Amino acid sequence: MSPYDLLPRFKAQYDANNQEFSISGVVRPQAIDELGPSIALLRDAIGHVRGVLYVNVRRLTQMNNAAFHSFSRIIIDACRARPDLKFVVITSSVVGWTSRKFGRLSAIEPNITVEEYDTEFYPGQGFLEEGGFVPILRTQTKLTWRHERAILPRHGMRSGIVMADICCGIGDFAVLAQKEFQPSRIVALDHSISSLNYARRVMREFDIRGIEYTYGDASEMLLDEAQFDLVTCRHSLQIFNRPELILKELYRICKPGGRVYITNEKNSHCLGEPRAESIRWTYNEVAKLFGHFEMDVELGPKSRRYLIEAGFEDIRVETFMVTNLDGDPQDFADVIAAWADVYAGEMATRRGDGPEFVARFRQGFEDHIFAALHPKGYTGWPIWVASGRRPQ
Amino acid sequence: MGPVHHDLAGEPIFEPMIQIDMEIKAFVSAWKHCDYVSTYVARMISQNRSDSVHHSNLFSSAFNELLEVAFRTRHADGELACRVSRHGATDRIELTFPCVPEERQFYEEAVSQFAGMEARERYLNSVSGDLAPSREVVLLELAVDYNATLWIDDADGDAIKLVVDLPLEGLQH
Repeated sequence: MSPYDLLPRFKAQYDANNQEFSISGVVRPQAIDELGPSIALLRDAIGHVRGVLYVNVRRLTQMNNAAFHSFSRIIIDACRARPDLKFVVITSSVVGWTSRKFGRLSAIEPNITVEEYDTEFYPGQGFLEEGGFVPILRTQTKLTWRHERAILPRHGMRSGIVMADICCGIGDFAVLAQKEFQPSRIVALDHSISSLNYARRVMREFDIRGIEYTYGDASEMLLDEAQFDLVTCRHSLQIFNRPELILKELYRICKPGGRVYITNEKNSHCLGEPRAESIRWTYNEVAKLFGHFEMDVELGPKSRRYLIEAGFEDIRVETFMVTNLDGDPQDFADVIAAWADVYAGEMATRRGDGPEFVARFRQGFEDHIFAALHPKGYTGWPIWVASGRRPQ
Repeated sequence: MGPVHHDLAGEPIFEPMIQIDMEIKAFVSAWKHCDYVSTYVARMISQNRSDSVHHSNLFSSAFNELLEVAFRTRHADGELACRVSRHGATDRIELTFPCVPEERQFYEEAVSQFAGMEARERYLNSVSGDLAPSREVVLLELAVDYNATLWIDDADGDAIKLVVDLPLEGLQH
């Protein structure tokens, strides 16, 4: 028996509380008999639900036509036998074929609807994925790279490794890592199509090789398990409402003995002189604002706990402070200006903040910029770096 | 994506990517060979696509269906040959496998009927009505869900060559 035979190929389960039948993995049976228990589970679920049955195929990597027909027939027959029952099939835009294939079912039975799930999974991420945040990310990477290029080798970065950069954004970190450390292969994944298009354009224009940009959901990636020596995920756990799900996936794709490297902030610790009080107040409010959208930009110091709880060993944690003295102070000021645009702009508006609050909130950013550009000023933005080794 | 080439007659030239040959007896000895071969080939040929992981997932999905069709051949001897080539955004699968004359006629008739809205209707009728998909419906699904173009080419002896053009790069996000 090969290791292949030992791997569970698919899993079906029913969650009665949520009236959700889910099936995941690779479902390619030769005969329908192989699906017996899963089909029985679906039939049983249909027999017990009232109103809506959710059919979750978000993590269904593959399903052959034989299996698709079999499951579809049960759902279609149930629609005909019980017109009171509705089915909502939840697909993922990440798994390309599922929306196309399952989408056909709604043309057969109007009581079947098909929804792509990903965008609603991360309540606040819309602010950060499309549009306004791209300039922030570019300048941020420029500032943090000065530090990280020295830090990364202490966390498993070296030439020739196979690495993944999850939540790669516009891909600038992957490009810098490629140039500096020459890993043999980089897979860079993100959930923003516009960011990936930008990254691919940069790669084409500058004839960069060795980076594969891929669209994906960090909490359920199509990437195979145990294939990367180093998995990086920067400034991202803090903007997911369930970071433990992402860490589970980072662990899964990391080779045993390889490392997962994460960076996160503690926004309330951003500082500046002069005008320290105003700056402190505003960054405390930043943390609360993100909290409102279920994002924890105070996550930095919690990194060690998250890594331990995800099963990593040999945890290494360090911090660095990006300051206005790192190169051109204008770069630091530009980052703050970009933060102000999004935080005191769209995010505050979306939360329903009044003009008085927004004015004070914005003032703190302006004071931070003032401090950054002041000839005697000092401003800081602290970052927590942490990595853990996947046990052998 | 690399440059695309055409021959003197203006026909696109498909550059070979990978070929896997095996005895049909060996292939049909285990069902999981369909999954093995489709997954392996998909990974190999998707590396330089704009989104390698997604291309690989889509390609494996389509190619596995073709291999499952070949797996069910009633002819017990001969070779299975899987050849993948590329022209721009399109990947071409040429799957040659032994089959009996009745099967050959069946495939020729099936493939000749794949066109337009009618194909979609026939596919939906099958999903809503049939207990299991026929081999025709499996091929039809490639046309409906993957915008594939299918035809039969000449092959030696008791073999059939199914040719499928998959424009998967155009189906990416």
